[in-house]
Amino acid sequence: MKLFKKFTVTALTAVIAVTATFAGIASAADTLKGKITINGSTALLPLTLQAAKEFQKLHPKVKIAASGKGSVTGPQAVKKGIADIGACDWDASVDVPGFKAFDGQVANKVAVIPFATIVNKNVGVDNLTTEQLAGIFSGKITNWKEVGGSDANIVVITRSFGSGTRVNYQAKALGGGDIVKKEKNYKETGSSGDMKTAVATTPNAIGYIDLVYVTGSDIKAVKHNGIAATTDNVINGSYKIWAYGYYMTKGQPTGATKEFIEYVQSKKFQNGSLKKLKFIPIAAMKG
Amino acid sequence: MGAPVQSLASQTPKKAEHSIINDKRHRRHLLGNRLSRYYFFFSILALCFVLGLVIVFIGKTALLLFGDVSPAEFFLSFNWTPEEEVFGAAAFIVNTLILTALTLLIAVPVSVGMAVLCAEIAPKWMKSFIRPVLDLLVGIPSIVYGYLGLTVLLPFLRRVSGEGLGDGVLAAALVLALMVLPTICRISDDAIIAVPRKFRDAAYALGSTRLQVIMRVVLPAAKRGIISAIILGMTRAVGETMAVVMVIGNTPQLAKSLFTPSSVLTSNIVMQISNVEFDSNWNYALHMMAFLLLLISFVLILIIRVIGRKREDA
Repeated sequence: MKLFKKFTVTALTAVIAVTATFAGIASAADTLKGKITINGSTALLPLTLQAAKEFQKLHPKVKIAASGKGSVTGPQAVKKGIADIGACDWDASVDVPGFKAFDGQVANKVAVIPFATIVNKNVGVDNLTTEQLAGIFSGKITNWKEVGGSDANIVVITRSFGSGTRVNYQAKALGGGDIVKKEKNYKETGSSGDMKTAVATTPNAIGYIDLVYVTGSDIKAVKHNGIAATTDNVINGSYKIWAYGYYMTKGQPTGATKEFIEYVQSKKFQNGSLKKLKFIPIAAMKG
Repeated sequence: MGAPVQSLASQTPKKAEHSIINDKRHRRHLLGNRLSRYYFFFSILALCFVLGLVIVFIGKTALLLFGDVSPAEFFLSFNWTPEEEVFGAAAFIVNTLILTALTLLIAVPVSVGMAVLCAEIAPKWMKSFIRPVLDLLVGIPSIVYGYLGLTVLLPFLRRVSGEGLGDGVLAAALVLALMVLPTICRISDDAIIAVPRKFRDAAYALGSTRLQVIMRVVLPAAKRGIISAIILGMTRAVGETMAVVMVIGNTPQLAKSLFTPSSVLTSNIVMQISNVEFDSNWNYALHMMAFLLLLISFVLILIIRVIGRKREDA
């Protein structure tokens, strides 16, 4: 017992000493303090984590905890007071199909996320119009030959309802058209990674995904109304399937939260790390 | 020790000291025993408490659903369109039962057969190869099985069946069967080994063939262990999520054929829970499905226990 006590005391002293030393180093000349909790979109998570890392280096007294779940959990967590920032792939302060506006929340634009229609490599089609896509996802067009391909059934792969990618794709690529469940040749996936694997391994499959995921030779991005899915075409305004990523806050952001959002929106971050992560800086967009 | 130099007088107090030390040690042991007993008792109590909390909280949120949605609709309707506030979970319930049954149908004969092979027939080198391999398989995370199902099994099923997608209960059952196989096999194996040698000797002495010994003597004697192996496998199959979600298609409809993209309770929960609002009927409905899952596995275990006991009595 005595030995145990001695050990505990020693350990405690050691811990206190170490903490004190570190705190002493950290308190150098920075006045910004606080704790920022960020929740929401998984699409924006890599960006958030990178920004948090850089921001904490500048302001060691600010603690940032970030996690990703689904777009809608962002503004919800803000509403419930669980998070200071809710990352969301759409502007949650206004109504979107399926989700009501979150009152009293402010949408802070932080990035541009381009999306692409993807098909399995065996599909011969390389351009689809908005009408054709709407037809395919609503189940009216079921065979590739109806859109200029070979005679094969179209396999529709989609994200589950409430996914930010799905909300944006529906609005921008399908012209607001519905994605309808079909008896056969229809499948829902839970994440961008699953979507990519499913389209890559299923012949005659069509799906949609963040442009950054379009790599490798098993899937290919399809032109939309004749325009290729590239970041250049997003920036010059000809390719329409993209969306702003938002940080939702309860009212106007203040304190450390405000500083953090401003850091993410700063030229340095937007043109540096954000571009490296293959998002598009918000300043690049004219609209 | 310099014992010879010391006088006799000094020996008596030494002895007394010794017995005091012994006494102390004994008391320490007693205290240790008592403390560990409290500790174990506390552990069990804490476990029950947490378990109770889980059930209460899931149940509480789940029951909020029936404020707006009738139980009849939830349990009997096959229409799951939560976007339009229609919550019929019957398809998921039926699919879960179908999937579990199909999984066991595939896994039980194979795994019990393998257990018999391992315990009764295989030569030593084969046993020492099969057992560690099975133990390894148990440790593989389920998402890896799911990924293999997605990238290897589904293309294969597509080629064989000529379907466009291949997703459905058959694919899910095959993946699950592979996952529960090592569990069922290893526990059955242990149960069969535990059957006393004299049973076999007696049967052989009566002139039985090896097949007769296995089928008529060893398997019935090991039945209890095999049944608990199946229960363990089954509960894993009912609750398994990540592997299923990748190969079942995730479309809320009844699995009318082996290749209909469909959805079970677990896969539907994991697909939707992160995309719904906290205080919505949709969220309550998903909690209700979780609660239901709890009840289903509970009932399944009860049924099998009862069947197992009845057979033993007979």
